[in-house]
Amino acid sequence: MQADRRRLNAPAGGTAPPVFASANTSPPRRRRKADEHRKIFLQTGIVPSAAGSAYYELPPDPATPPLTRKSSLKITCTVHGPRPLPRNAAFSPNLLLTTHVKYAPFATKTRRGYVRDSSERDLGLHLETALRGVVIGERWPKSAADVVITVLEGEDDGPAGAHSGDMGSGWGMLSVLAGCITVASAAIVDAGIDCVDLVSGGVAALVHDQSSEITTVLDPAPAEHVTRAACLVAYLQSRDEITEMWMKGDAGGDLGGLIESAVQSATLARTVLVEAVKDSTEARVAAMSPPELPSTDAASKGRPKDVVTTG
Amino acid sequence: MPPYTNIPLSPAELSYLHTSLSSTPPIRPDGRTPTQFRPLVAETAILPTANGSARVCFSDGTEAIVGVKAEVEKTRGGGMEQDVNMGGDDGNDEGKGEVQWLQLGIDIPGLRDDDALPVFLGAMLREALLADGGLAARLNINARFHWRLYVDILLLSPPLSYPLPLLSLTTHLALLSTRLPALVSQGDEDPLFNDDWQASLPLYPSKASQPPITLLVISVQDTILFDPSVPELAVADAVLAISVLQTPGSRTWSVVAIRTVDPPSRLTAAGVPSSLGSAGGAVATATNAEVLLARERDEIGSVWRPPRGGVGRKVIARMVKMVVESGGVADEVMGGLEGVEIGMS
Repeated sequence: MQADRRRLNAPAGGTAPPVFASANTSPPRRRRKADEHRKIFLQTGIVPSAAGSAYYELPPDPATPPLTRKSSLKITCTVHGPRPLPRNAAFSPNLLLTTHVKYAPFATKTRRGYVRDSSERDLGLHLETALRGVVIGERWPKSAADVVITVLEGEDDGPAGAHSGDMGSGWGMLSVLAGCITVASAAIVDAGIDCVDLVSGGVAALVHDQSSEITTVLDPAPAEHVTRAACLVAYLQSRDEITEMWMKGDAGGDLGGLIESAVQSATLARTVLVEAVKDSTEARVAAMSPPELPSTDAASKGRPKDVVTTG
Repeated sequence: MPPYTNIPLSPAELSYLHTSLSSTPPIRPDGRTPTQFRPLVAETAILPTANGSARVCFSDGTEAIVGVKAEVEKTRGGGMEQDVNMGGDDGNDEGKGEVQWLQLGIDIPGLRDDDALPVFLGAMLREALLADGGLAARLNINARFHWRLYVDILLLSPPLSYPLPLLSLTTHLALLSTRLPALVSQGDEDPLFNDDWQASLPLYPSKASQPPITLLVISVQDTILFDPSVPELAVADAVLAISVLQTPGSRTWSVVAIRTVDPPSRLTAAGVPSSLGSAGGAVATATNAEVLLARERDEIGSVWRPPRGGVGRKVIARMVKMVVESGGVADEVMGGLEGVEIGMS
């Protein structure tokens, strides 16, 4: 049918006046204790075609009613490699680790494009710094490994109802990065790449609470707080070392306490990480060795840990 | 890979550097003390078409220019445009600015915009500038209009060393020399400005509140060094970028941002212990597996090995203390920068 293009016609289906949601929804409140981490779901080995993979989720607080429930954090990570560098690449005495962090287009309130923007590249660089210190790169000369992270659902940034523009307040990036570090650590272990320790990410923040006093909280959800300063660490517990630190905001004189709390938060995330790695290793050992043979545990853990890759 | 990681040093040279830097007192290749900066040449207000500008030249030949330009822009959702108010805060409160009003671009020769180094440096400098919210608040003209500030950073030389201190100091000086035309309209009218440039107002009016500076600090074992050069970065165990801001009205400093930088030493090649018979020109007969095993058993560190793991919390605390303490490095740098005459373009 030829459309009538001479006149401005009314829409065919009629119109309805816009109905706005009522603005009196109270902002979400933190129901956890100040030193309580949200529950973490972590599972490794979810992508069979990748050398290593893991999935990380921070579910929303089940106590909040469904209408006001905020989105949670869901991150997948795949590790490809270690694989040999292409023949025309320059010689590298160490494993070349590259990291990609990408938000899915539907992950946040404002749509993300398919090309990584500067904040996603920045997250990738932070993740690379955190992982480079953990992976023992000199055992894989002339090889490369890719860590690819997709954020399926990013947390709502900033207080509810506030129009926070394109970039948001930026505090949520810290929680996302902490998740990225933990999930990448699990995936790297799943891929069988040698590490000096398990690295886990933790965030702590100085926030203004209801009586506008400043308190330190572990694992802040950015929508629940008015944040003054926040700190992320990637922490190696058994070596008591920090491979990555990212502090933003005015911490005043309490910088040491803030770092201490972030380390405590990373320690809490590590317990989940250890359990997830243990589960997957046990499952793999059970699948590899027939049950009647007593498996020598150290020799049959996962992939062969041979380092004889050069030649 | 960023260019500064192509380190033309052998494992023996790296080991020599590491030993001399970790001895007490540390011996730096250019003879500086641990907290001493390289000499620099600085001038401000060099670009007649910019609101503020600065040029800094380090003695190793790296040079940067920063130009600051400002544009008037309508505030989204401000004043009359605001016909539907969806609740929440209405954005009209005085003294608040948005972080999007500051745009920062870094151009480094030989690197693309989306390479790792410019992205990282840009995010770090931006984060420090916006940390206290004071800059964004100063960009408010009235409820309907604001300034949009473009800070364009141009590195003129190839990035010989990690250019963070250079770019931070240049940006600091350029913002100090930035002037905005004086407003003659009142209230929420369309803004009208005084066209006399002599009557323009500085963006940072008082000495008390100044833009932040970012310092690069490295640790080599227990030694903490400031303003590292390329060979020193090549053996660093940890590299930290610490941004500090002077608390208005006092001589104390507060840390507004810390970031770890990936130390290039992790990409260096490890040495082969001489116990394998490869020293003294003898033909190496060891297989790669034997070499790896010998490196792992080399507990005392007789040959160079790229650092593993991270940095201890105590070292970080010491680094921060050295920057912010009274008479510390931040005081020293600010004292040096006060000697630079803030001109008027």
